[in-house]
Amino acid sequence: MSTPAVVVDQVWKRFRLYRERNQSLKSAVLRGRRSVIDREFWAVQDVSFEVARGETLGIVGRNGSGKSTLLKTLARILTPERGTIRMNGRVAALLEVGSGFHPELTGRENIFLNGSILGMKRRDIRARFDEIVDFADVGPFLDQPVKNYSSGMYVRLGFAVAVHVRPDILLIDEVLAVGDAEFQERSRAKFRELTGDGRTVIIVSHALGQVRDLCSRSLWLDGGELRQVGPTRQVLAAYEADLTHL
Amino acid sequence: MPYLRDLRESRELLGNLVARELKGQYRRTVFGQLWSLLNPVATMLIYTIVFSVFLGAQPPRGDPSGLDVFALWLMAGLLPWLFVARVVNGCIEVLIGNESLIKKVYFPRAHLPLSVLLSVGVTWLIEMVVLGVALSLAGAFVVPWLPLTLVVMVLLGIFAVGLGMLAAIANAHFRDTQHLVAIALQMWFYLTPIVYPLDVVANATRSDPWAMTIFQLNPMEHFVAVFRDLMYASRWPDSVDLIWCVCSALVVGMFGFVVFTRSERRLAEIL
Repeated sequence: MSTPAVVVDQVWKRFRLYRERNQSLKSAVLRGRRSVIDREFWAVQDVSFEVARGETLGIVGRNGSGKSTLLKTLARILTPERGTIRMNGRVAALLEVGSGFHPELTGRENIFLNGSILGMKRRDIRARFDEIVDFADVGPFLDQPVKNYSSGMYVRLGFAVAVHVRPDILLIDEVLAVGDAEFQERSRAKFRELTGDGRTVIIVSHALGQVRDLCSRSLWLDGGELRQVGPTRQVLAAYEADLTHL
Repeated sequence: MPYLRDLRESRELLGNLVARELKGQYRRTVFGQLWSLLNPVATMLIYTIVFSVFLGAQPPRGDPSGLDVFALWLMAGLLPWLFVARVVNGCIEVLIGNESLIKKVYFPRAHLPLSVLLSVGVTWLIEMVVLGVALSLAGAFVVPWLPLTLVVMVLLGIFAVGLGMLAAIANAHFRDTQHLVAIALQMWFYLTPIVYPLDVVANATRSDPWAMTIFQLNPMEHFVAVFRDLMYASRWPDSVDLIWCVCSALVVGMFGFVVFTRSERRLAEIL
């Protein structure tokens, strides 16, 4: 437990809500340079926390509490207005399955494409190729264009690639776990495996049972502000009390 | 620069994006990659019939190659132009088309325009090889000029992707850009001596030499002149043209790259 894997220091993320966004040149010229900013909205406000190496952190909160924004900021998809984020290690974010799948390419080709988009090296993909194919369970469709896939197969293939990225720090949005009951069970088992082997994981989830099951510590976001961070049992108890309170 | 290191470390992604473009494009077509050659050939036929046969445009005789074939002279200027136009349009489309990717995964965004540059570049390279063979068959000595031609092709690539990056960022802010660019490219095409020789402009502006000076502020005029010197006429290009090529590639390329990398942090929000 030397340096923490993730250090988040006073991060603020703002969104601007435009009543009339200058999306066309005409409106920009007519209205002058400035767009009409209806109001600014701070989706994440002054959030600081640390995650130790090998720890699994759950992020909970109501809809619109800023969980996904925080996760996207950690993933470098969004840039914070203020504050700093330090990641000590290779990061991969699983926010969507099948990112960048090309419908005309085969499942096999898309595994390599998607894998490299998620930051895997070609030799890593080759080494884990059989595992990925086993997990995706698309059978003879592996060499068919993915546009011919059923939606279930598409999701399974995307998920299979995603969970085989082996970064030092893994960011997961819970919406990933989709598909039929049997596949959900398998993906849950996969999550358990991913969090178990010494990797640093941050999970955004609504499924409190899952958070309790996987995460040693949790963080509760409310209206963009950090309400509590600490041992999962304690944080979830406070969160649940707050939920039933209303 | 840490950004350049990021780019280098994820170069496999660039390779895969290029492969996606190239493989996806002509899937399920009978002629496949041949389509990319048919397009310039059709354009060549149209311009040759209209400008050479109907309007009687005379290409300057290649010196020292001795060539006097309008279609070949045209293609030596038209292929570089088509390359630039495809890169610029492709860069605009690649950000819009990969919006969902940009909002869900982090990677150095410059890979997107670069993948356009490389995939369009592969097509252009094939076209240039075909043109080189045709020129050789017609009697030009292209081979000794190949190394320099390749260098100028790289310069034009840098120039084109710089423009493409600027256009792509502008289009992310203002969706009007793509329509504006379509018109601008068309005007630019006819303001560059591609389907007519430069002499025509020189004759028309003899009384006002400043008009010719302004006309030659267009970097594409110099690129086209260099490619025609190298390929059609088989000679060392004019040094003023060469300097123009180098400087415009560096200036536009760097400017485009800097603007793009500064704006890309906001791309997930503005798209």
